[in-house]
Amino acid sequence: MDPLTWTGSLGSILNPALGLVAVLLVVAIVAVIVLSFFAAPVTLQSNPDGTISAKTGISGLADSAFRILVLALCAVFLAYIVGGVLLPYGDAGIIGAMAKRFLPVWIALIALFALSFQFKRKLGLYGKLFDSTVGMVGLGLVMFWVFTAIFGAMFDLIGTHDALSQISGLKNELPGIPVPNAADEGLFPHYLLGGDDQARDVFSRMVQGSGIVIAIAPLATLFAFMVGITLGLPAGYYGGLIDTIISFCANLILAFPVILLFYLLVTPEIVDTGIPSYMAAVLFLFPIIFMAVLLNSRYHTQPSFRTPLLIGVLGVMIYLYLVGISQADTALNFLPGSLDLFDIEPGILVVFVSVVFVNSPTSFRIVRGLALDLRTRDYVAAAQTRGEQAWYVMLWEILPNARGPLIVDFCLRIGYTTILLGTLGFFGLGLAPDSPDWGSTINAGRTLLSIYPHPALPPAIALLTMVLGLNLLADGLREESLKD
Amino acid sequence: MAKWDYDGPILEIDKLSISFFTRTREIPAVMEFSCVVQPGEALGLVGESGCGKSTVALGVMQDLGVNGRIVGGSIKFKGRDLNKMGTAELQGIRGSEIAMIYQEPMASLNPAMRIGQQLMEVPMIHERISEKDAYARALEVVRDVKLPDPERIMRSYPHQLSGGQQQRIVIAMALMSKPALLILDEPTTALDVTVEAAVVQLVKDLGKKYGTSMLFISHNLGLVLETCDRICVMYSGEAVETGKIEDVFEEMRHPYTEALFRSIPLPGADKTTRPLKSIPGNFPLPHERPNGCNFGPRCDYFTAGLCDAAAIPMVELASGDRHASRCLRINDIDWDAPMVAAVQKEKTKIGKVVLKMDDLRKYYEVNANALFGGSGTRKVVKANETLSFEAREGETLAIVGESGCGKSTFAKVLMGLETATSGQIMLFDENIQSTPIEKRNTDTVSSVQMVFQNPIDTLNPSMTVGRQIIRALEIFKVGKSDAERKERMLVLLDLVKLPRAFADRMPRQLSGGQKQRVGIARAFAGGAKVVVADEPVSALDVSVQAAVTDLLMEIQREQGTTLLFISHDLSIVRYLSDRVMVMYLGHVVELGTTDQVFSPPYHPYTEALLSAVPIADTRVKKRHIVLEGDIPSAMNPPPGCPFQTRCRWKSQVAGGLCDIEVPPVRFLADGHQIKCHLPDDVLTGMEPVITIAAE
Repeated sequence: MDPLTWTGSLGSILNPALGLVAVLLVVAIVAVIVLSFFAAPVTLQSNPDGTISAKTGISGLADSAFRILVLALCAVFLAYIVGGVLLPYGDAGIIGAMAKRFLPVWIALIALFALSFQFKRKLGLYGKLFDSTVGMVGLGLVMFWVFTAIFGAMFDLIGTHDALSQISGLKNELPGIPVPNAADEGLFPHYLLGGDDQARDVFSRMVQGSGIVIAIAPLATLFAFMVGITLGLPAGYYGGLIDTIISFCANLILAFPVILLFYLLVTPEIVDTGIPSYMAAVLFLFPIIFMAVLLNSRYHTQPSFRTPLLIGVLGVMIYLYLVGISQADTALNFLPGSLDLFDIEPGILVVFVSVVFVNSPTSFRIVRGLALDLRTRDYVAAAQTRGEQAWYVMLWEILPNARGPLIVDFCLRIGYTTILLGTLGFFGLGLAPDSPDWGSTINAGRTLLSIYPHPALPPAIALLTMVLGLNLLADGLREESLKD
Repeated sequence: MAKWDYDGPILEIDKLSISFFTRTREIPAVMEFSCVVQPGEALGLVGESGCGKSTVALGVMQDLGVNGRIVGGSIKFKGRDLNKMGTAELQGIRGSEIAMIYQEPMASLNPAMRIGQQLMEVPMIHERISEKDAYARALEVVRDVKLPDPERIMRSYPHQLSGGQQQRIVIAMALMSKPALLILDEPTTALDVTVEAAVVQLVKDLGKKYGTSMLFISHNLGLVLETCDRICVMYSGEAVETGKIEDVFEEMRHPYTEALFRSIPLPGADKTTRPLKSIPGNFPLPHERPNGCNFGPRCDYFTAGLCDAAAIPMVELASGDRHASRCLRINDIDWDAPMVAAVQKEKTKIGKVVLKMDDLRKYYEVNANALFGGSGTRKVVKANETLSFEAREGETLAIVGESGCGKSTFAKVLMGLETATSGQIMLFDENIQSTPIEKRNTDTVSSVQMVFQNPIDTLNPSMTVGRQIIRALEIFKVGKSDAERKERMLVLLDLVKLPRAFADRMPRQLSGGQKQRVGIARAFAGGAKVVVADEPVSALDVSVQAAVTDLLMEIQREQGTTLLFISHDLSIVRYLSDRVMVMYLGHVVELGTTDQVFSPPYHPYTEALLSAVPIADTRVKKRHIVLEGDIPSAMNPPPGCPFQTRCRWKSQVAGGLCDIEVPPVRFLADGHQIKCHLPDDVLTGMEPVITIAAE
C-alpha cells in the first residue's frame, strides 16, 4: 500500500483553484482597506418602490468582489469534502478519507440545519440564531464536535483505530502512512494523521478525545451555574450582610491562583485526605437544593400535587447524588457495592470538582448583578405585595428574566472550561497520562514539536475550532437576543 | 460654517416621508408631512406615542440611524435643503444653527466633564472663539437660565445637580451658540410638575429674548397651549390638523383632534355626570394601516366608501390662519354639537370606614458608613410624618405629591413591605402597621392590593398573562381545582374587558393599556377591598388613559372598592377622586374633599401645584405661580415648615414662625384640614388659581 497524499487526485484540480481564490481574496481585502481611506464610501439610497440599493463606486466593486471570493473559498472547501465522500477511498487523499470517516457527522449536521431552518420561527431564541451568520457558523462548529463526540466516542463510528493500541513501526510516522499488514489483520489501511510518539493513531485519539471534552465541559459549567444561581440570587435579592459574606468568599476564590489551586487539589496527599470527595459532596448538593426550592416555591399552594412531585424528583436526584459521591477507595465510600451503580473515575472527578469550584464564583457574580437589577421591577413588587415567598420571587420572577445574558455567558463559559480542561490535561493534572483528551495529547506531542509537529497539531486545532465555535455562538445569541 | 441670513421661514418641511427598514419590510414612520416655522414662532407637534413626531425631529437633524431613511420630500432650513447637505456641512449646522433638547437631561450631559467645560465647548468648536470669551458667554447663559450661583454650577459635575437644574443646563447648552431653531423633544416629561412649570416658563422667556424659533414635541396638549403659537396634530405618521393654537383648540376640524380633547379630563368633566370618552380601538401598527384615512376605523364619522377609498390630502380651511385638516367630511360634520354624554353613571355609595391611619410615621435610618455600621453617625430620613386619614368603602382618595413626598413609602407600609415606625393602620378592625407581609393572613393580603405605574414592568415578561393571574388566585387560595381557577381567571379577563384569548399571550404581545388592564385584573384576583393605584395611567397615552381610568371607576362601582389613587396629575385627580390628600416631604399639607382642595383657601403648595398643571383649554385662565428652586432632599429637610424654602406666602406669617416650627394641623371646614401658619384672614383672602371664562 502506498502512503496517502493530502488531497490525492482531487488535488490536481482543487489545489490550484484554492491557491488562486486565496491570492485573489488577499488582494481584495487589501483593496477594500486601502480604498476605505481614499474612495467615497458606499452609500445606501432608497428607491421609490421602497427597496434600498447601494450606490456602487469603486469601493462598492471591491466590496462585492470580497464577498464573492469568500463564497468561492467556501465552495472550494465544500468541494474537498463532497469529493472525499463521493470518490472511492484513497482517490481523494487524506482529506477525502477523513471527510468519508466523518460522514455520520455531516449527515447529522445537515439534518439539524434543515430541520432548524424549517421551524426557525417556532423555536424562540434558538430559531433566531439562524438569522445570524456568525451564530450559524458558531453553532455549526460546536455541533460538529458534539456529533463527533456522539458518533466517534460513544458509538465508535468515526475513529479508524483503537485510541490506545500501538502498532510497531509507526512511531512518529507522517500523515497518510499505510499500516503494515492491515488487510491481513483487518485493520484500517492508513494512519490518516500519522502516528504519535508511542505509535498510536493521532486521528483516532483526536476523535476519542472529543468525547471527554464534550462530556465534561458543559456538565461542569452547568454545575457551576447551579452553584452560582443558588448563591447569587439571594445575595442580589436580599443584599446586605448575606451579600457581603458570599461576595467576599467568591472574591477569595477568584483571587487565588487557579493553576496552583489545581496542583494542590490533585496532589496525591491531598486526594488521600479526601478533600476532593468532600468538595464533590458539597458542590453536587447544589442542584438538589436548587430543584427542591424551585419546585416547592412554585407548587406549595397545592400540597397534594407538590408532595409526590418533590418525593419523585428529589428521590431520583438524591440517589444519583449518593451514587455519584460514594466512590470505592476514597474517603467517601458508604453505599454497598450492589447499590453503587457507577463510579466516576477518580481523575475525572477531581478535574470536574476543580473546574466547578473555579467557575462558580464568576457565575455567582453574574447572577448577583442581574438579580440586583431585576429586583427593582414592578412585577417583583407585585409578587411581594401578594405575599409570595422570597424563593418564588427569585426563581420564578427574577431568574427567567435573566435568562438571556445567562445563556450567552453559559456558552462563553463552556469555551473557557474547555480551555481549562486543555490546560489541566497539558499539565498532566488529574487525567491518566495515556488519556486521549486534547490537553494531554498536545502535551505529549509537545516534546518533539520541532521535528514532528503532526501529533500535537490536530488536537490543538480541534480545541481551537471548538472554542471559536462557542464564542461565535455566544456572539450570535447575544446579537439576536438584543433584537427582540 | 458661517451662519447665513435668510428672510423666509426658518424651517420648511414639504411632503417629508421617512421610513425605517428592517430585515423583513419597510416601515413608513412619517408620510407626506409638511409644516412651516416662521422666525420667532413656536410650533407644537402633538400626538400619541408612535405617531412619528420624534422621527420628524430626528429627520430635521438628519440623524435617523442606520435603518432610517428619508424617502421623499424636502426639509429646507433657512432656504437650504438639509437632505442635500454633506456630513461636514451638517456638522456645522447641528448645535450651532439647530439645537435639540432631549427628554432625559442626565443622558444629554457628559457625566465625566464639568458643566463649564461642556458649555464652553459649543462656541469654541463652532465659532472658534477663545477660551476666555467662551467662559464669559457660558456664565451669561447660565445666568439666563436662572440658576443660582453660576460660578459654582460651572465648576460642578452633572450628577451634583438636580434633574431640573440639569435640564436648565441642557437648555443653556442649546442656547450657547444662539441657534435659529430649537427642537425640544418632550423636554419636561422626566421632571416634576412644579419644576416642569418653571422650565416651561424659562423656555418661553428665552425664546422671546433670543428670538429663537421652536419645534416643541409633546404628548401634552396643555403644555403645547402654554408654550406654542401654532400646533400640528399627528396621527399614525401623518399630520391630521394644523393651525394656530386658538383655531385648533376652539374650532377643531378633525375627528381625531376632537376625540383627543374629549378623552382628557378638562375642568368640568366628572366621573358620574360627564365621563370621559375614550377613543375606541387601538392605534394601528405602521404595517397595518388601513386604506384611506388612518383614523377611519376608530372614527365616529366614518363613511364606508368615502373615507377608506384613497389617500386623503391635507385641505386648507377658509377660516383661520393657515388652518388645515386631513378630513373629507369637514363640511358634513356638525362641529358644534355637544358631546353625546355616555351613559350617566350612578354615584358610588360611600360606606363605612375601611382603612384608618392614625399618626403614622415611617423613619429610615441611614448609616453614614454601611460596611462598618453601628459606630458612625446615623441620619434619620423622615419619609412619612404624622399621617392621619381615613378612607371609606367605595371612595376614591387621591394622594397627590411630587417625587420624594413619601407617597411610595406610605404605599409600602400599607402593603406590609415595610413596617411603620410608630402610629396605627387599621384595616377593618385589624391593626396591621407592624405586621410584615409574610405574617399577614391571606385575607388581609388579598384585600389590600396594588396597581403599578409602569406598564412595561408590571407583568413578568416570561410568563403568559393567564398564568400570572392564576398564580395570584393560587396564592390567594381562590378556587379548589386548577379548572376552577382557570374559569375564574377568564372571568377576571372579562371584568377588565380583555378578550379571553389573551390568556395565552405573552406580555410583550400586549399594548401598554392592555398590560395595565391585566395588572388591574391581577390586583382584583382575591377580591381586593382596598386598591392602591400608583400612577396607573401616567405612562399611558391620553386616549388610553381615559379607558383605563373608566375601567377602574367601573370596577369600583360594582365592587365598592376603596381606591387610593396616587398621582401628580391634578386634572385626572379632579376628575375621579372624592377626596384629595396633598403631600409634601412626608407631611400631609392639605386634606379635604375635591372641591375643598381645588378652591381657595389653599395651602400655598396646593396653590402652586394647581398653577403648574397645564390645562388644554383656552377658556381657562390661570394665575402663574412659579416655584423657585427644587424640592429639598428628604435626607436634609429644612427646619420648620417643610415648604418654607419655596413658599411665596412666607412673608405674611408674623415672627418668622415658618423657619422655626412645623405648622400644626388646622381644620378649616368640615373635613378640610391644612398644615400652614398663615393667619385666617390671609387664607380666606386667597384668589382661585383657575377661572373658567364664561362661554
